[in-house]
Amino acid sequence: MLLANNISFYRNNNIIFKDVSLALPPQKIINITGANGIGKTTLLKILTHVLIPKKGDIFWNGKNIKKNLFNYYKDVTFVMDKQTSNINLSVIENIFFWKKLFSSIISKKEIDAILDLLSLDSYRNTPINYLSNGEIKKLELTRLVIERKKLWMLDEPYIGLDIETINLLNETFINHTKSGGMIIFSSHYVPEIPNIENLQLENYAQR
Amino acid sequence: MHSVNSILALFYRELKISYRNFSDILSILMFFLLGILIFVFSIGPNTEMFNEIGIGVIWTLILLSNNLSLRKFYQNDFNDGSIILLHMSGLSYELIVLIKIMIIWIFLQLPFFIIIPLAAILLNIELPNVNLILISFLIGSPILTSIASISGSMNLLNQRNFAIGSVIIMILSIPIIIFSVGIINASEEIVRAQLKILIGILFFFLAVTPWVSAACIKLAIQNK
Repeated sequence: MLLANNISFYRNNNIIFKDVSLALPPQKIINITGANGIGKTTLLKILTHVLIPKKGDIFWNGKNIKKNLFNYYKDVTFVMDKQTSNINLSVIENIFFWKKLFSSIISKKEIDAILDLLSLDSYRNTPINYLSNGEIKKLELTRLVIERKKLWMLDEPYIGLDIETINLLNETFINHTKSGGMIIFSSHYVPEIPNIENLQLENYAQR
Repeated sequence: MHSVNSILALFYRELKISYRNFSDILSILMFFLLGILIFVFSIGPNTEMFNEIGIGVIWTLILLSNNLSLRKFYQNDFNDGSIILLHMSGLSYELIVLIKIMIIWIFLQLPFFIIIPLAAILLNIELPNVNLILISFLIGSPILTSIASISGSMNLLNQRNFAIGSVIIMILSIPIIIFSVGIINASEEIVRAQLKILIGILFFFLAVTPWVSAACIKLAIQNK
Protein backbone atom coordinates (compact mmCIF):
# COMPACT_ATOMS: atom_id res chain seq x y z
CA MET A 1 0.00 0.00 0.00
CA LEU A 2 1.31 3.40 -0.99
CA LEU A 3 0.46 6.40 1.15
CA ALA A 4 1.35 10.02 0.53
CA ASN A 5 0.70 12.63 3.18
CA ASN A 6 0.32 16.33 2.40
CA ILE A 7 2.98 16.57 -0.26
CA SER A 8 3.86 20.11 -1.30
CA PHE A 9 6.30 21.05 -3.98
CA TYR A 10 7.79 24.44 -4.78
CA ARG A 11 9.96 25.39 -7.68
CA ASN A 12 11.75 28.75 -7.50
CA ASN A 13 9.35 29.78 -4.72
CA ASN A 14 6.35 29.09 -6.97
CA ILE A 15 3.95 26.61 -5.50
CA ILE A 16 3.39 23.79 -7.99
CA PHE A 17 0.92 21.94 -5.78
CA LYS A 18 0.11 21.90 -2.11
CA ASP A 19 -1.06 19.22 0.33
CA VAL A 20 -1.58 16.37 -2.11
CA SER A 21 -2.54 13.21 -0.26
CA LEU A 22 -3.25 9.87 -1.79
CA ALA A 23 -3.75 6.27 -0.76
CA LEU A 24 -3.22 3.40 -3.12
CA PRO A 25 -4.33 0.02 -1.77
CA PRO A 26 -3.72 -3.18 -3.75
CA GLN A 27 -5.91 -3.84 -6.79
CA LYS A 28 -6.43 -0.17 -7.41
CA ILE A 29 -5.46 2.30 -10.14
CA ILE A 30 -4.98 6.03 -9.79
CA ASN A 31 -5.07 8.24 -12.84
CA ILE A 32 -3.52 11.66 -12.34
CA THR A 33 -5.21 14.20 -14.58
CA GLY A 34 -4.73 17.89 -15.09
CA ALA A 35 -3.75 20.54 -17.57
CA ASN A 36 -0.25 20.84 -19.01
CA GLY A 37 2.30 22.15 -16.56
CA ILE A 38 0.20 21.37 -13.51
CA GLY A 39 2.81 18.98 -12.14
CA LYS A 40 1.75 15.46 -13.11
CA THR A 41 5.26 14.36 -13.97
CA THR A 42 6.60 16.15 -10.91
CA LEU A 43 4.18 14.27 -8.66
CA LEU A 44 5.21 10.94 -10.16
CA LYS A 45 8.87 11.81 -9.73
CA ILE A 46 8.20 12.73 -6.11
CA LEU A 47 6.43 9.42 -5.52
CA THR A 48 9.52 7.60 -6.82
CA HIS A 49 11.79 9.83 -4.73
CA VAL A 50 13.57 11.13 -7.80
CA LEU A 51 12.54 14.61 -6.69
CA ILE A 52 12.31 15.41 -3.01
CA PRO A 53 9.17 17.21 -1.82
CA LYS A 54 9.45 20.35 0.27
CA LYS A 55 6.87 19.03 2.72
CA GLY A 56 5.13 15.76 3.29
CA ASP A 57 6.07 12.10 3.55
CA ILE A 58 5.53 9.01 1.45
CA PHE A 59 5.03 5.59 2.97
CA TRP A 60 5.31 2.19 1.34
CA ASN A 61 3.84 -0.65 3.41
CA GLY A 62 3.96 1.56 6.49
CA LYS A 63 7.62 2.55 6.10
CA ASN A 64 8.88 5.95 5.11
CA ILE A 65 10.53 5.56 1.71
CA LYS A 66 13.27 8.04 2.58
CA LYS A 67 14.81 5.54 4.98
CA ASN A 68 14.01 2.39 3.01
CA LEU A 69 14.69 3.65 -0.47
CA PHE A 70 16.20 0.54 -2.02
CA ASN A 71 13.62 -1.72 -0.40
CA TYR A 72 10.97 0.51 -1.93
CA TYR A 73 12.65 0.43 -5.34
CA LYS A 74 12.49 -3.36 -5.27
CA ASP A 75 8.72 -3.02 -5.64
CA VAL A 76 8.48 -0.16 -8.12
CA THR A 77 8.63 0.04 -11.89
CA PHE A 78 8.82 3.58 -13.21
CA VAL A 79 8.15 4.20 -16.90
CA MET A 80 9.28 7.72 -17.57
CA ASP A 81 8.13 10.17 -20.22
CA LYS A 82 11.47 9.65 -21.94
CA GLN A 83 12.89 6.54 -23.53
CA THR A 84 15.48 4.86 -21.36
CA SER A 85 16.50 2.32 -23.98
CA ASN A 86 19.97 3.03 -25.28
CA ILE A 87 20.00 4.10 -28.93
CA ASN A 88 23.25 2.28 -29.67
CA LEU A 89 21.87 -1.11 -28.66
CA SER A 90 19.34 -3.28 -30.44
CA VAL A 91 15.88 -4.15 -29.14
CA ILE A 92 16.88 -7.54 -27.79
CA GLU A 93 20.09 -6.18 -26.25
CA ASN A 94 18.13 -3.57 -24.37
CA ILE A 95 15.69 -6.18 -23.12
CA PHE A 96 18.48 -8.47 -21.94
CA PHE A 97 20.14 -5.53 -20.23
CA TRP A 98 16.96 -4.78 -18.29
CA LYS A 99 16.47 -8.45 -17.51
CA LYS A 100 19.92 -8.68 -16.01
CA LEU A 101 19.82 -5.28 -14.36
CA PHE A 102 16.69 -6.16 -12.41
CA SER A 103 17.64 -9.84 -11.97
CA SER A 104 14.39 -10.81 -13.63
CA ILE A 105 13.38 -14.45 -13.90
CA ILE A 106 11.60 -13.93 -17.20
CA SER A 107 12.37 -16.71 -19.68
CA LYS A 108 13.43 -16.41 -23.30
CA LYS A 109 10.11 -17.85 -24.45
CA GLU A 110 8.21 -15.16 -22.59
CA ILE A 111 10.38 -12.46 -24.12
CA ASP A 112 9.66 -13.90 -27.57
CA ALA A 113 5.95 -13.91 -26.79
CA ILE A 114 6.00 -10.28 -25.67
CA LEU A 115 7.91 -9.16 -28.73
CA ASP A 116 5.47 -11.08 -30.90
CA LEU A 117 2.49 -9.54 -29.12
CA LEU A 118 3.83 -6.01 -29.57
CA SER A 119 4.81 -6.80 -33.19
CA LEU A 120 8.42 -5.88 -32.44
CA ASP A 121 9.56 -9.32 -33.51
CA SER A 122 11.01 -8.29 -36.85
CA TYR A 123 13.04 -5.47 -35.25
CA ARG A 124 14.75 -7.78 -32.77
CA ASN A 125 18.26 -6.90 -33.91
CA THR A 126 17.58 -3.36 -35.08
CA PRO A 127 19.31 -0.57 -33.16
CA ILE A 128 16.87 1.71 -31.34
CA ASN A 129 17.69 4.78 -33.41
CA TYR A 130 16.00 3.16 -36.44
CA LEU A 131 12.69 2.60 -34.59
CA SER A 132 9.70 4.93 -34.65
CA ASN A 133 8.47 6.79 -31.56
CA GLY A 134 5.60 4.39 -31.00
CA GLU A 135 7.86 1.36 -31.24
CA ILE A 136 10.30 2.85 -28.74
CA LYS A 137 7.39 3.50 -26.38
CA LYS A 138 6.23 -0.10 -26.77
CA LEU A 139 9.71 -1.33 -25.98
CA GLU A 140 9.72 0.88 -22.90
CA LEU A 141 6.46 -0.71 -21.73
CA THR A 142 7.95 -4.20 -21.91
CA ARG A 143 9.84 -3.20 -18.78
CA LEU A 144 6.58 -3.55 -16.84
CA VAL A 145 6.54 -7.25 -17.60
CA ILE A 146 10.29 -7.78 -17.36
CA GLU A 147 10.68 -6.20 -13.93
CA ARG A 148 7.62 -7.92 -12.42
CA LYS A 149 7.06 -5.53 -9.57
CA LYS A 150 4.02 -4.68 -7.52
CA LEU A 151 3.71 -0.95 -8.04
CA TRP A 152 3.68 0.43 -11.54
CA MET A 153 4.17 4.13 -12.18
CA LEU A 154 3.73 5.38 -15.69
CA ASP A 155 4.10 8.85 -17.10
CA GLU A 156 1.77 9.37 -20.06
CA PRO A 157 1.75 5.70 -21.11
CA TYR A 158 -0.72 6.17 -23.94
CA ILE A 159 1.25 8.72 -25.95
CA GLY A 160 2.32 7.43 -29.36
CA LEU A 161 0.56 4.07 -29.08
CA ASP A 162 -1.88 2.69 -31.64
CA ILE A 163 -5.37 1.55 -30.63
CA GLU A 164 -4.39 -2.11 -30.57
CA THR A 165 -1.55 -1.49 -28.14
CA ILE A 166 -3.74 0.76 -25.98
CA ASN A 167 -6.22 -2.08 -25.61
CA LEU A 168 -3.40 -4.46 -24.84
CA LEU A 169 -2.02 -2.08 -22.22
CA ASN A 170 -5.44 -1.72 -20.59
CA GLU A 171 -5.76 -5.50 -20.50
CA THR A 172 -2.33 -5.74 -18.85
CA PHE A 173 -3.43 -3.16 -16.29
CA ILE A 174 -6.55 -5.16 -15.46
CA ASN A 175 -4.57 -8.39 -15.11
CA HIS A 176 -2.00 -6.68 -12.93
CA THR A 177 -4.62 -5.27 -10.54
CA LYS A 178 -6.37 -8.63 -10.41
CA SER A 179 -3.20 -10.24 -9.15
CA GLY A 180 -2.87 -7.66 -6.37
CA GLY A 181 -0.81 -5.02 -8.12
CA MET A 182 -1.10 -1.25 -7.92
CA ILE A 183 -0.84 1.28 -10.71
CA ILE A 184 -0.44 5.04 -10.83
CA PHE A 185 -0.30 6.79 -14.14
CA SER A 186 -0.78 10.25 -15.51
CA SER A 187 -2.81 10.72 -18.65
CA HIS A 188 -5.22 13.09 -20.33
CA TYR A 189 -7.14 10.13 -21.65
CA VAL A 190 -9.26 8.27 -19.10
CA PRO A 191 -9.43 4.58 -20.00
CA GLU A 192 -12.35 2.37 -19.10
CA ILE A 193 -10.83 0.11 -16.48
CA PRO A 194 -12.49 -1.09 -13.26
CA ASN A 195 -11.17 0.16 -9.89
CA ILE A 196 -9.83 3.35 -11.41
CA GLU A 197 -9.82 6.60 -9.48
CA ASN A 198 -9.11 10.05 -10.86
CA LEU A 199 -6.85 12.40 -9.00
CA GLN A 200 -7.42 15.89 -10.31
CA LEU A 201 -4.30 17.86 -9.67
CA GLU A 202 -6.12 21.14 -10.41
CA ASN A 203 -7.70 20.94 -6.97
CA TYR A 204 -4.32 21.26 -5.30
CA ALA A 205 -2.81 23.96 -7.45
CA GLN A 206 -2.51 27.43 -5.99
CA ARG A 207 -2.72 30.03 -8.62
CA MET B 1 23.62 -11.14 -5.40
CA HIS B 2 21.05 -8.84 -6.85
CA SER B 3 23.36 -5.84 -7.00
CA VAL B 4 26.24 -7.93 -8.35
CA ASN B 5 24.00 -8.84 -11.26
CA SER B 6 23.14 -5.19 -11.81
CA ILE B 7 26.79 -4.18 -11.74
CA LEU B 8 27.68 -6.87 -14.28
CA ALA B 9 24.76 -5.83 -16.48
CA LEU B 10 25.85 -2.20 -16.43
CA PHE B 11 29.44 -3.18 -17.11
CA TYR B 12 28.41 -5.30 -20.07
CA ARG B 13 26.18 -2.57 -21.48
CA GLU B 14 28.91 0.06 -21.24
CA LEU B 15 31.36 -2.30 -22.91
CA LYS B 16 28.97 -2.84 -25.76
CA ILE B 17 28.22 0.85 -26.22
CA SER B 18 31.91 1.70 -26.20
CA TYR B 19 32.56 -1.06 -28.71
CA ARG B 20 29.82 0.29 -31.01
CA ASN B 21 31.35 3.76 -30.79
CA PHE B 22 34.86 2.57 -31.49
CA SER B 23 35.38 5.32 -34.06
CA ASP B 24 35.22 7.85 -31.20
CA ILE B 25 38.24 6.26 -29.60
CA LEU B 26 40.08 6.14 -32.90
CA SER B 27 39.46 9.81 -33.54
CA ILE B 28 40.73 10.75 -30.09
CA LEU B 29 43.91 8.76 -30.76
CA MET B 30 44.22 10.47 -34.13
CA PHE B 31 43.89 13.82 -32.42
CA PHE B 32 46.71 12.88 -30.08
CA LEU B 33 49.05 11.72 -32.83
CA LEU B 34 48.31 14.69 -35.09
CA GLY B 35 48.92 17.04 -32.18
CA ILE B 36 52.36 15.48 -31.70
CA LEU B 37 53.05 15.85 -35.42
CA ILE B 38 52.07 19.51 -35.32
CA PHE B 39 54.51 20.06 -32.45
CA VAL B 40 57.24 18.36 -34.49
CA PHE B 41 56.56 20.56 -37.50
CA SER B 42 56.28 23.78 -35.55
CA ILE B 43 59.48 23.35 -33.53
CA GLY B 44 61.63 22.09 -36.38
CA PRO B 45 64.35 19.42 -36.65
CA ASN B 46 66.09 19.91 -33.33
CA THR B 47 66.51 16.45 -31.83
CA GLU B 48 68.14 17.57 -28.60
CA MET B 49 65.31 19.92 -27.84
CA PHE B 50 62.77 17.17 -28.26
CA ASN B 51 64.54 15.00 -25.76
CA GLU B 52 64.06 17.81 -23.26
CA ILE B 53 60.53 18.92 -23.98
CA GLY B 54 59.12 15.74 -25.53
CA ILE B 55 57.59 14.44 -22.33
CA GLY B 56 55.90 17.74 -21.65
CA VAL B 57 54.46 17.69 -25.16
CA ILE B 58 53.12 14.17 -24.72
CA TRP B 59 51.50 14.97 -21.38
CA THR B 60 49.97 18.19 -22.65
CA LEU B 61 48.37 16.33 -25.55
CA ILE B 62 47.14 13.53 -23.29
CA LEU B 63 45.40 16.22 -21.27
CA LEU B 64 43.89 17.87 -24.33
CA SER B 65 42.63 14.58 -25.74
CA ASN B 66 41.18 13.79 -22.32
CA ASN B 67 39.01 16.88 -22.74
CA LEU B 68 37.46 15.38 -25.86
CA SER B 69 36.02 12.45 -23.94
CA LEU B 70 34.28 14.71 -21.44
CA ARG B 71 30.79 14.55 -22.90
CA LYS B 72 30.83 10.76 -22.97
CA PHE B 73 30.55 10.42 -19.23
CA TYR B 74 27.01 10.97 -18.02
CA GLN B 75 25.35 13.26 -20.56
CA ASN B 76 23.53 10.60 -22.59
CA ASP B 77 22.37 8.59 -19.61
CA PHE B 78 21.25 11.76 -17.91
CA ASN B 79 19.34 13.11 -20.90
CA ASP B 80 17.34 9.94 -21.50
CA GLY B 81 16.75 9.24 -17.81
CA SER B 82 18.47 5.87 -17.76
CA ILE B 83 20.63 7.05 -14.87
CA ILE B 84 17.44 7.14 -12.78
CA LEU B 85 16.63 3.64 -13.99
CA LEU B 86 20.08 2.43 -12.93
CA HIS B 87 19.54 4.01 -9.55
CA MET B 88 16.15 2.37 -9.19
CA SER B 89 17.68 -1.03 -9.90
CA GLY B 90 19.50 -0.72 -6.59
CA LEU B 91 22.79 0.87 -7.57
CA SER B 92 23.79 3.98 -5.70
CA TYR B 93 24.98 6.94 -7.75
CA GLU B 94 28.43 6.54 -6.23
CA LEU B 95 28.69 2.99 -7.55
CA ILE B 96 27.49 4.07 -10.99
CA VAL B 97 30.21 6.73 -11.06
CA LEU B 98 32.86 4.20 -10.10
CA ILE B 99 31.79 1.77 -12.83
CA LYS B 100 31.73 4.56 -15.41
CA ILE B 101 35.24 5.64 -14.44
CA MET B 102 36.48 2.08 -14.84
CA ILE B 103 34.88 1.65 -18.25
CA ILE B 104 36.06 5.01 -19.57
CA TRP B 105 39.55 4.31 -18.30
CA ILE B 106 39.65 0.94 -20.04
CA PHE B 107 38.34 2.25 -23.33
CA LEU B 108 39.81 5.72 -23.56
CA GLN B 109 43.06 5.57 -21.63
CA LEU B 110 44.37 2.05 -22.20
CA PRO B 111 44.77 2.57 -25.99
CA PHE B 112 47.24 5.32 -25.15
CA PHE B 113 49.67 2.68 -23.94
CA ILE B 114 50.05 1.57 -27.54
CA ILE B 115 50.14 5.03 -29.01
CA ILE B 116 52.52 6.70 -26.52
CA PRO B 117 55.61 4.65 -27.58
CA LEU B 118 54.74 5.59 -31.16
CA ALA B 119 54.65 9.26 -30.20
CA ALA B 120 57.93 8.80 -28.36
CA ILE B 121 59.55 7.58 -31.57
CA LEU B 122 58.23 10.65 -33.39
CA LEU B 123 59.71 12.91 -30.72
CA ASN B 124 63.02 11.00 -30.54
CA ILE B 125 62.73 10.28 -26.82
CA GLU B 126 65.21 7.83 -25.31
CA LEU B 127 64.00 4.40 -24.30
CA PRO B 128 64.48 4.64 -20.48
CA ASN B 129 62.46 7.82 -20.55
CA VAL B 130 59.67 6.08 -22.46
CA ASN B 131 59.41 3.59 -19.63
CA LEU B 132 59.11 6.42 -17.16
CA ILE B 133 56.39 8.07 -19.24
CA LEU B 134 54.43 4.83 -19.33
CA ILE B 135 54.71 4.38 -15.57
CA SER B 136 53.65 7.94 -14.87
CA PHE B 137 50.79 7.54 -17.35
CA LEU B 138 49.66 4.35 -15.65
CA ILE B 139 49.30 6.25 -12.39
CA GLY B 140 48.24 9.55 -13.89
CA SER B 141 45.54 8.38 -16.29
CA PRO B 142 43.02 7.21 -13.65
CA ILE B 143 43.42 10.63 -12.04
CA LEU B 144 42.64 12.29 -15.37
CA THR B 145 39.58 10.09 -15.80
CA SER B 146 38.39 10.98 -12.29
CA ILE B 147 38.80 14.66 -13.01
CA ALA B 148 36.91 14.26 -16.28
CA SER B 149 34.15 12.50 -14.33
CA ILE B 150 33.89 15.40 -11.87
CA SER B 151 33.84 17.93 -14.67
CA GLY B 152 31.33 15.91 -16.70
CA SER B 153 28.92 15.58 -13.79
CA MET B 154 29.25 19.26 -12.94
CA ASN B 155 28.15 20.24 -16.43
CA LEU B 156 25.09 18.03 -16.83
CA LEU B 157 22.67 20.94 -16.82
CA ASN B 158 24.97 23.19 -18.77
CA GLN B 159 23.71 23.28 -22.34
CA ARG B 160 25.55 26.33 -23.63
CA ASN B 161 29.01 26.91 -22.23
CA PHE B 162 30.90 23.75 -23.16
CA ALA B 163 34.34 25.29 -22.66
CA ILE B 164 33.89 25.60 -18.90
CA GLY B 165 34.10 21.81 -18.53
CA SER B 166 37.53 21.77 -20.15
CA VAL B 167 38.61 24.68 -17.98
CA ILE B 168 37.75 22.70 -14.84
CA ILE B 169 39.80 19.76 -16.10
CA MET B 170 42.77 22.00 -16.89
CA ILE B 171 42.79 23.59 -13.45
CA LEU B 172 42.48 20.34 -11.56
CA SER B 173 45.16 18.54 -13.56
CA ILE B 174 47.96 21.04 -12.96
CA PRO B 175 49.43 19.02 -10.04
CA ILE B 176 49.39 15.84 -12.11
CA ILE B 177 51.31 17.50 -14.91
CA ILE B 178 53.85 18.89 -12.46
CA PHE B 179 54.60 15.54 -10.85
CA SER B 180 54.39 13.37 -13.98
CA VAL B 181 56.70 15.53 -16.05
CA GLY B 182 58.90 16.19 -13.05
CA ILE B 183 59.72 12.49 -12.83
CA ILE B 184 61.80 12.60 -15.98
CA ASN B 185 63.98 15.52 -15.05
CA ALA B 186 64.40 14.52 -11.42
CA SER B 187 67.51 12.78 -10.14
CA GLU B 188 67.19 9.10 -9.38
CA GLU B 189 66.67 9.47 -5.64
CA ILE B 190 63.70 11.77 -6.07
CA VAL B 191 61.97 9.69 -8.76
CA ARG B 192 60.50 7.31 -6.20
CA ALA B 193 59.33 10.11 -3.98
CA GLN B 194 57.67 11.82 -6.94
CA LEU B 195 55.96 8.59 -7.96
CA LYS B 196 54.68 8.18 -4.41
CA ILE B 197 53.23 11.67 -4.41
CA LEU B 198 51.52 10.85 -7.71
CA ILE B 199 50.09 7.64 -6.23
CA GLY B 200 48.89 9.70 -3.28
CA ILE B 201 47.05 12.05 -5.62
CA LEU B 202 45.55 9.01 -7.38
CA PHE B 203 44.17 7.58 -4.13
CA PHE B 204 42.84 10.96 -3.11
CA PHE B 205 40.92 11.35 -6.36
CA LEU B 206 39.66 7.76 -6.36
CA ALA B 207 38.32 8.31 -2.86
CA VAL B 208 36.74 11.69 -3.52
CA THR B 209 35.42 11.42 -7.08
CA PRO B 210 32.46 9.03 -6.52
CA TRP B 211 31.01 11.28 -3.82
CA VAL B 212 31.62 14.52 -5.67
CA SER B 213 30.24 13.23 -8.98
CA ALA B 214 27.27 11.56 -7.29
CA ALA B 215 26.43 14.78 -5.46
CA CYS B 216 26.58 16.69 -8.75
CA ILE B 217 24.36 14.13 -10.49
CA LYS B 218 21.81 14.27 -7.66
CA LEU B 219 21.77 18.05 -7.82
CA ALA B 220 21.30 17.95 -11.58
CA ILE B 221 18.39 15.50 -11.31
CA GLN B 222 16.74 17.65 -8.65
CA ASN B 223 16.99 20.79 -10.73
CA LYS B 224 16.07 19.45 -14.13
